[in-house]
Amino acid sequence: MSRICKYYLYCLFVLLGTSCHHARYIQQHTASLYTVDTTAGKEQQYVQMLQPYRKTMDSIMNVPIGIADTILYKAQPEGTLGDFMADALLQAAQLQDSHVEAAILNYGGIRLPYIASGVITVGKIYELMPFDNQLTVIEIPGDTLIRFCDYMALAKGWPVSGISFAIKDKKAINILVNGRAIDAGKVYKIATNDYLANGGDYCSFLTQLKRSTTSLLIRDVCIDYVKDLAKQGKHLHPYIDKRVYNAE
Amino acid sequence: MLNRRSFIKHTALGSGLLLAGGFPFDSLAGERITKLTILHTNDVHSRLDPFPMDGGKYQGQGGVAARAALVSKIRAEEENVLLLDAGDIFQGTPYFNLYKGEPEIRAMSMMGYDACTMGNHDFDAGVEGFAKQLPHANFPVLVANYEFTGTELEHKTQPYTVVKKAGIKIGIMGLGIELQGLVSPSSFGNTKYNDPLPVAKQVSEMLVKDKKCDMVICLSHLGYKYDGNKICDMDIAKETEYINLIIGGHTHTFLDAPVSVINKAGRETIVNQVGWAGVRLGRLDYIFSSKKDANLTSAQSVIINK
Repeated sequence: MSRICKYYLYCLFVLLGTSCHHARYIQQHTASLYTVDTTAGKEQQYVQMLQPYRKTMDSIMNVPIGIADTILYKAQPEGTLGDFMADALLQAAQLQDSHVEAAILNYGGIRLPYIASGVITVGKIYELMPFDNQLTVIEIPGDTLIRFCDYMALAKGWPVSGISFAIKDKKAINILVNGRAIDAGKVYKIATNDYLANGGDYCSFLTQLKRSTTSLLIRDVCIDYVKDLAKQGKHLHPYIDKRVYNAE
Repeated sequence: MLNRRSFIKHTALGSGLLLAGGFPFDSLAGERITKLTILHTNDVHSRLDPFPMDGGKYQGQGGVAARAALVSKIRAEEENVLLLDAGDIFQGTPYFNLYKGEPEIRAMSMMGYDACTMGNHDFDAGVEGFAKQLPHANFPVLVANYEFTGTELEHKTQPYTVVKKAGIKIGIMGLGIELQGLVSPSSFGNTKYNDPLPVAKQVSEMLVKDKKCDMVICLSHLGYKYDGNKICDMDIAKETEYINLIIGGHTHTFLDAPVSVINKAGRETIVNQVGWAGVRLGRLDYIFSSKKDANLTSAQSVIINK
């Protein structure tokens, strides 16, 4: 082998070798952003890969359960999606225990930005509430419930039903439960989900309280609420009724 | 920037020094110029299909088939592409309720993701549920501040990976959010969470000093920023010295342009996040040189196809 040939082999070895790394330095960077739509087309192999999953899924999820005659949306301090979920939760809880006075859910638990008006399917409620959270009733002393309302005010408003308050300086004021001013000395039965009852969303103040967890899923509660309306020939039509509002 | 790019292209064609195997080209001055394209997603939340055409804000957007087509188009145009995800792959459509993440991970493997980190919702089927889908993943799961000792995920994730693209050494690490208070304890089980800041400092420094990485990317599911003092991407950017780019998630923040932060060492750290549901794909193009005389310009942001 000639010397030149050996030299080139040596160079190649050095270039390919990982032990020898020539440092590189960032000189410039630019950023760009794409909206993912069908401008670049669709890759059919993904459509095919999903097909068997979709077939089973559609048979379960594309089942209509009722009709919304308005767009439902996620918003703070109050939105119609949150109102719907909290109303459904309170109704289901009161069927189990008539002493339940109100329902509270976490804003982060609303997993869709909106539900369009028109036919609502099972799948849409799965998207709204994908978690297998269960209806839980907690017995909350009035003073702790005031603290809970302050926490919701700090978080800019959560979905509630049977409770109303105004948000002022990141605190809850004018708190009403079941239409009456909150009593710090009374114990209230409040419906929520097991996620919050177990201290989720930093609600550690709930974990030590007396509770009863049902096997009812929040998702099924929402599905049944829409189905019940449909049976009565009614549409889903929540509206903003100033349950939670920013004080002037 | 455009002038610089055309200069680079011109040199490449003119000198004919472009070597096989993705080696960079040399300019006449002996300077090696290489371009790295980083594509990223976060909080895709099981959105395998596009949003339905129901008049909503994101109607027709997202979906793996369209994302794959876009990624393929970019791969055809660019030689050195990294595709990364910042967590919360799971949960949000009935696909997850029925199939527990299998089609999500399969689609990411098909698309050629280089790495991802774990989000809080990736625990929604339990530690064992995530572990169960890993045989479908052909990319590493990076998370440096969770310890999975004694769980189903033990030895199945790694704190970082080092990728070499066209002679550039890229260290990629992952950071996960505090699980207590956010994820049901029955889901995260014996997973131990460590403070992300000291971990980020230690791992990023090691990637630069010991592993000789030219660039450090942090995939983070900590969240962009908060009203309170909860640790976030902006804190990690400001308080560390060796991270060049943070690809974030969790807060579903739609940044129209990445945010440039001066870090603890007085250098630039970029923070980016592209909302959620896979309706956007983020892109950053980095130009590397073999010469240190970095005349680093600030990020230029171009909104494409918006």
